[in-house]
Amino acid sequence: MQQKLNIALVITYCIFLAACGAKGDKPGYEYSPQMYHSVPYEGLTQITDEGAGQLISNREDGKGEFYNSNPNNPNKMNMRHPPENTVSRNRYGMLPIQIHKDSFALAERVLKSPLPESEEVLAEGKELYDRFCEHCHGSGGGGDGLVGQVYLGVTPYNSSTVKDKGEGHIYHVITHGKGRMLSHASQEDPMERWKIVRYVQTLQKQ
Amino acid sequence: MFATLRSAGSIFLPILAFFFLSLTSIRAQSDSTSTEVASDTSTVETATSEGGISDEAVIAEGESLFNANCRVCHAVDQKLVGPALGGIYDRRDMDWIKLFIKNSQAVIASGDAYAVALYEEYNQTVMPSFNFSDSEIESIVAYIRVEADKEPEVAAADGGQPLNPQAAQEPSTFLTVIVVGLVIVLILILVVLFLIINFLTKFLRKREDLDDSDKELIDQRFKLGELVKKPAFVGIVAFVFGVFALKTVIDGLYQVGIQQGYAPTQPIAFSHKLHAGQYEIDCNYCHTGVRKSKSANIPSANICMNCHGQIKTESPEIQKIYAAIENDRPIEWVRVHNLPDLAYFNHAQHVAVGGQECQTCHGEIQEMEVVAQYSPLTMGWCINCHQETNVNTKGNAYYDNLVELHAQHSKAPLKVEDIGGLECAKCHY
Repeated sequence: MQQKLNIALVITYCIFLAACGAKGDKPGYEYSPQMYHSVPYEGLTQITDEGAGQLISNREDGKGEFYNSNPNNPNKMNMRHPPENTVSRNRYGMLPIQIHKDSFALAERVLKSPLPESEEVLAEGKELYDRFCEHCHGSGGGGDGLVGQVYLGVTPYNSSTVKDKGEGHIYHVITHGKGRMLSHASQEDPMERWKIVRYVQTLQKQ
Repeated sequence: MFATLRSAGSIFLPILAFFFLSLTSIRAQSDSTSTEVASDTSTVETATSEGGISDEAVIAEGESLFNANCRVCHAVDQKLVGPALGGIYDRRDMDWIKLFIKNSQAVIASGDAYAVALYEEYNQTVMPSFNFSDSEIESIVAYIRVEADKEPEVAAADGGQPLNPQAAQEPSTFLTVIVVGLVIVLILILVVLFLIINFLTKFLRKREDLDDSDKELIDQRFKLGELVKKPAFVGIVAFVFGVFALKTVIDGLYQVGIQQGYAPTQPIAFSHKLHAGQYEIDCNYCHTGVRKSKSANIPSANICMNCHGQIKTESPEIQKIYAAIENDRPIEWVRVHNLPDLAYFNHAQHVAVGGQECQTCHGEIQEMEVVAQYSPLTMGWCINCHQETNVNTKGNAYYDNLVELHAQHSKAPLKVEDIGGLECAKCHY
């Protein structure tokens, strides 16, 4: 009888241990959970449940050990929006250019690329183009990228409407979008945009 | 015995016949589809050559102009970004078409009812102005006219096409038929063998000139009860069970604290397989921080909107993004990879400087419908890679002196461990 009980115990122990791993929605267990759950506010984590990790908690405010969200922010988010009416300083010391998003002709006249004409800039431009533009505009700028084929309305760079547009126009389109294309300013910083412009200009001339 | 064999044969023959029949019928079907399609295309060709509305050269010019300038937004037979152009010459007169192509905004601003209605219907999408001459526009319209007249015939040819995908699927269905057939044949062989054994034992029992040892052989039965009680058997079973239990315990203990395989359900069923796999959108397009900062970042809703402001707007999953934007609430994605605060990891260092592929650590992310943690993210895993990986020194002047120093005492290439990749304080501080 005792022997059978022992075997049963071993089996249940095995089953318990096997359930420790992560699978599907279950993140699994940790030896020392305090190490895995950040004490300071975490940018990409938000645990709004005040009772999370209550069992092992040694917080002074009595909340659970895993609770990680900022009650002072909207939606208890850990990250904040930049204050209104402020602009970010970038590492190039460039301030945002104040041209209305529909003023393409003005942008074309005013905006000038700060980059020199060099093979290096062109190569970097191509690399950025492949990352941020190619899936819609296609590797040759024909508007035939895999996404462009289903998105539709992607103008080929060498079509008569756009092939003579200058660098300022292209920069303005990347920054503010045009037609079905939306602003890509949040994905590429100004200098990256100017590099892309340089590469797009070579595709216009095809 | 012969009787059983014969009966088995009578079962086999119809199955074989069935096989050959299905084979020949499938082949006949594919033949007939190809001839149908061929005959359809021939009718299309004759229709266009008979049509001959205007000069071939004009139509050819119109076609090249249409393909270069109009095709991205317009088709002849269906709505794309703008309306279908088939029959435009019946709906509007030539002067209106010319004015609209040359400057659509001016026509709309003039208050032309048709143009304003069109502008509203297509979500106020601005058609760019085209600097065409009148004759160029006429050639484009001539081309559209030819294409529109062609449509019904092309549609008929398309009607014949749905048979083609079937033809493409043929090999797989054919394969399953073969496998199922083989399984049936195997079962039948087993049945036949069993019948033969039965038949032979019965036949032997009837004979009376056998000695005792032979009879014992015939009447032999497998006795399970006696075998189980043998100590050797009990020993083997106990050993196997013990080893299994030990392995489970060790595996279980190793799994604690490792979230490999964690694949939580996300609030929006975003598919990396579709976006990164099928459409080959670069990871960096959405994960904008990956070459610039410590974390790769989860894209904000405005990056989704770059495309989904326009396409797939009806999908319930996309509607969730719209709801989040409207209510000004964040989309609460569930974090998959969680490195404890005691270890420092920097995406920019690994991707931009080290030139590592995303897949090295995240697995075949472009195949994942739901993202699962691919790597264990243990210290042993980090160390292992730092010992094996060569430093990406090419074109990076920062490493020039290090490479030179390293070359003085070693012929092996510069590895991450040689530049302090195993120093405790590099990651733990």
